[in-house]
Amino acid sequence: MEEHATSAIETYMPYIVVFNFALVGVVLVVLGKLAVRGGLSEEPGPRQNLLEFLLDFFVGKAEEIRGCDCVKTVVPLLATLFAMIFISNLLGVIPIPVINQPPTAYYSGPLALALCAIFGTLYVSGVFNGVFGALKHLFWPNPLQLITEVSDVMSLSLRLYGNIAGEHMVALLIMGVAPIGIPLVIHFLGLIPAFVQPLVFVLLTTSFIAGAIKHEEHKEEREVVAEAQEERTKVDVEAQTA
Amino acid sequence: MQGILLALVSITPIVVGATIGALSMRRISVTALEGITRQPEVAGQLFTAMLIGMALVEALVIYCLVVALMLAGSVKI
Repeated sequence: MEEHATSAIETYMPYIVVFNFALVGVVLVVLGKLAVRGGLSEEPGPRQNLLEFLLDFFVGKAEEIRGCDCVKTVVPLLATLFAMIFISNLLGVIPIPVINQPPTAYYSGPLALALCAIFGTLYVSGVFNGVFGALKHLFWPNPLQLITEVSDVMSLSLRLYGNIAGEHMVALLIMGVAPIGIPLVIHFLGLIPAFVQPLVFVLLTTSFIAGAIKHEEHKEEREVVAEAQEERTKVDVEAQTA
Repeated sequence: MQGILLALVSITPIVVGATIGALSMRRISVTALEGITRQPEVAGQLFTAMLIGMALVEALVIYCLVVALMLAGSVKI
């Protein structure tokens, strides 16, 4: 009977992944609507304070990308990815049969998220460097940049998949040996990667975006530094002659 | 006998990968902790850089895990 149940879950796994992703999306939309219900005020209450505290982290990360005013474009992408992955990972600890399959523990889920992140990076690069600049970034200074994009997708998705699925496999194996008590500890330990993985995902996406944008800025920075040095030498020369 | 040998072969990648990954992660975390104790004011930036470095090391270990899983899936005892 039990075997039959597991095989049924495995048969319908693709649908379950899609269903759970949609569920996470609906939960996030409802939470967001509830959070901003009644409008935002100049003097924030506790709820708005908490939300601003959470959002402030992503704004800080986006501001670390120097040389562009891209906070409004980047923050929604980063915050959505983080919330999506985090809630998806947390589904694993809910003790309800179908819903407790985290969509990030099946390779198609992380792959979709990583593709979203990389295409988001390309989009942001297109907005700030122009479409031509973004395409040029893929082939210049060397055409291997294109391979970098593919390997970025692979590394992002495999990392997330490996962590979450690995934790589940370990929990399952230990469940076979010690069914009472110990799996609780394993699940509790699983909460750590459940939080760290979205964080790492978002940080890496940020650094990819920074790498895609920075390009032109480097040149300007170097020019600014060179100008400052010239001025300094001028001042020195003037001081010496005086 | 052959099945056991194949099973041993299939766990080799993750054993080697996890060992070397753990050693390099130890190095990363020790260095980051030394930096944080020396300059607590840049703790946030160091922690972020440490997480990224660890994630890059971890990715390789995860590749080993995936290869091990694929090998284990192909073994029939």
